[in-house]
Amino acid sequence: MKNSLRHIFVIAGNTFTEAIRQKVLYVLVVFCLIMLGGSSFYTQFDFRGDDFKFMKDLAYAAISVIGLLVSLLGAAMLIPAELEKRTIYTLLSKPVRKFEFIVGKYLGLVLLLTLFVTLMAGIFMLAVWGHESSLTAGILKASQGHPTEFQQQMINEFRAGAYDPAMWQALVLIWAKLCLVTVISVLFSTVASSTVFIVSCTLFIYLIGHLQSVARDFWFSQSGGASWLTTAFLAAVSLFIPDFQTFNLIDEIISGNPVLWQNTWHILLYSAVYTVIALAVSALLFENREL
Amino acid sequence: MNEQDFAVGASGLTKTFTLEWTRKKLLALDGLDMQVRRGEVFGLLGPNGSGKSTTMKLILGLIRPTSGMIKVFGEPSGSLASRRQLGFLPENPYFPGFLSAREVLNYYGKLVDLCGKQLRERVEELIELVGLPLAADRALKTYSKGMLQRIGLAQALLHDPDLLLLDEPTAGVDPIGSRQIRDLILALKKRGKTIIFSSHLLEQVQEVSDRVIILHRGKKMQEGTLDELLSVQGQSQFTVSGLTPELQEKVAALLKSEGAELVNVSHPKQKLEDYFIRSVSK
Ligand SMILES: Nc1ncnc2c1ncn2[C@@H]1O[C@H](COP(=O)(O)OP(=O)(O)O)[C@@H](O)[C@H]1O
Ligand SMILES: [Mg+2]
Repeated sequence: MKNSLRHIFVIAGNTFTEAIRQKVLYVLVVFCLIMLGGSSFYTQFDFRGDDFKFMKDLAYAAISVIGLLVSLLGAAMLIPAELEKRTIYTLLSKPVRKFEFIVGKYLGLVLLLTLFVTLMAGIFMLAVWGHESSLTAGILKASQGHPTEFQQQMINEFRAGAYDPAMWQALVLIWAKLCLVTVISVLFSTVASSTVFIVSCTLFIYLIGHLQSVARDFWFSQSGGASWLTTAFLAAVSLFIPDFQTFNLIDEIISGNPVLWQNTWHILLYSAVYTVIALAVSALLFENREL
Repeated sequence: MNEQDFAVGASGLTKTFTLEWTRKKLLALDGLDMQVRRGEVFGLLGPNGSGKSTTMKLILGLIRPTSGMIKVFGEPSGSLASRRQLGFLPENPYFPGFLSAREVLNYYGKLVDLCGKQLRERVEELIELVGLPLAADRALKTYSKGMLQRIGLAQALLHDPDLLLLDEPTAGVDPIGSRQIRDLILALKKRGKTIIFSSHLLEQVQEVSDRVIILHRGKKMQEGTLDELLSVQGQSQFTVSGLTPELQEKVAALLKSEGAELVNVSHPKQKLEDYFIRSVSK
């Protein structure tokens, strides 16, 4: 048990090291930085409070999209490589269980995503802070350090727009969503050996996951409700495919609607349960795979 | 003999692969019986595709037999208990190319449950043993085949296992390296380790193995000690210095009068390998 945990952490650490030594990652990070930097560049021309909303929209989009690419490629590149180059033989000739390999790979990628989201969020915050301080400095300068009540109100508004505590919620949800994509990709990596195939399958599940609740609403809103066949199909889909639609909460948060932390916790719990089951299934599939 | 007296015991070991797409069956190993005693150096010989690597993978439990059974020190193959006692050098070994030799040994060392000072010392010891101290901090993707083979050996030895499985240990290694590997095998044997190795290079097998199996298309063709398999029955050899033509005639006459026959007289040749090694080490 203690050994198992140690093996998992050692494999996770190795996976993380391998991932951050991939060139693709740096290309993606640079793209993300350009998008983040671009957001503050566009806002430099006008002094308006909803600059921050614009910056946030762009930043969250950048982190989500680039993060999605990182999570789609992570397992799909690293696990097949381990099989193709047969480093897995060396690994499994040691007293290492196959599930330790799977869980280790997953946790290594989670570590990577955590670093990615934290780093990008940090840089985004710097951009926001820079913009906010230049705005307030501008007002303070105009009022020679003695802002009128109206100007003070404006400053307060800027600050409220810039440092919205709900942002943490959005970031945590984005991170959870990326981790969920990763676990699906790990699942496919345990049965398939082509990166393109794994990425396609994961993307397919991701899209279905977004559509399923829409489909559900559509079918059940029809007169007379859905036939038992459709109901069974939808039940099966919702059982196996995570409901990515729930993550639309992120959009709510970004557009400024208050969302209860409780809802966030629910989603995190849902993701955690799904992850544990998906990892168990992955381990089982991998256990039975001929290498 | 008891089950535990054997490092590896296999009976009726058979493996069929089902090829992807065509679903054709391929018989890679056909009813192999094999007993490797503790402390023995055991050679698996055979041409390419004869089932040597398949046998190794079955011993490791990386693949499961289609039929038959296999035990390692009395434990089922692939069990943690069996893997704790063995070290494996894969054929054409490849390691995470983004790590250096030292890093990779540290990584595998942790997976065989070494830690702290013990791990650090063992890693240094092995880097020294396989002769890579100068390259130990270079990324493995810059390594030549022979260097990878050395790292492969080092990682197999990390936890000082009782059984070593070496799949083509000298493939791609220069003569000096190849001799070092041979000496290493003999040194390990002296320490009571069991070594199973495969090769299609027969000369090297002859120098180190106690017993061999010859495989062909998955079937065992021969088994035995090299003496049993190779000595020409009913003939003997002398090596003499100072043999003049007259003396040779006398000896031949003596042999004839005693009912024996001189079959062949020739000069013993040094082996090219020895000659090469002496030439470059001058
Ligand atoms: N994973 C596999 N799938 C299909 N065929 C395989 C696989 N592994 C080995 N074989 C086949 O089994 C036979 C024995 O292979 P192998 O044990 O690697 O031979 P050797 O190591 O003696 O060169 C070969 O014909 C090889 O093509
Ligand atoms: Mg082979």
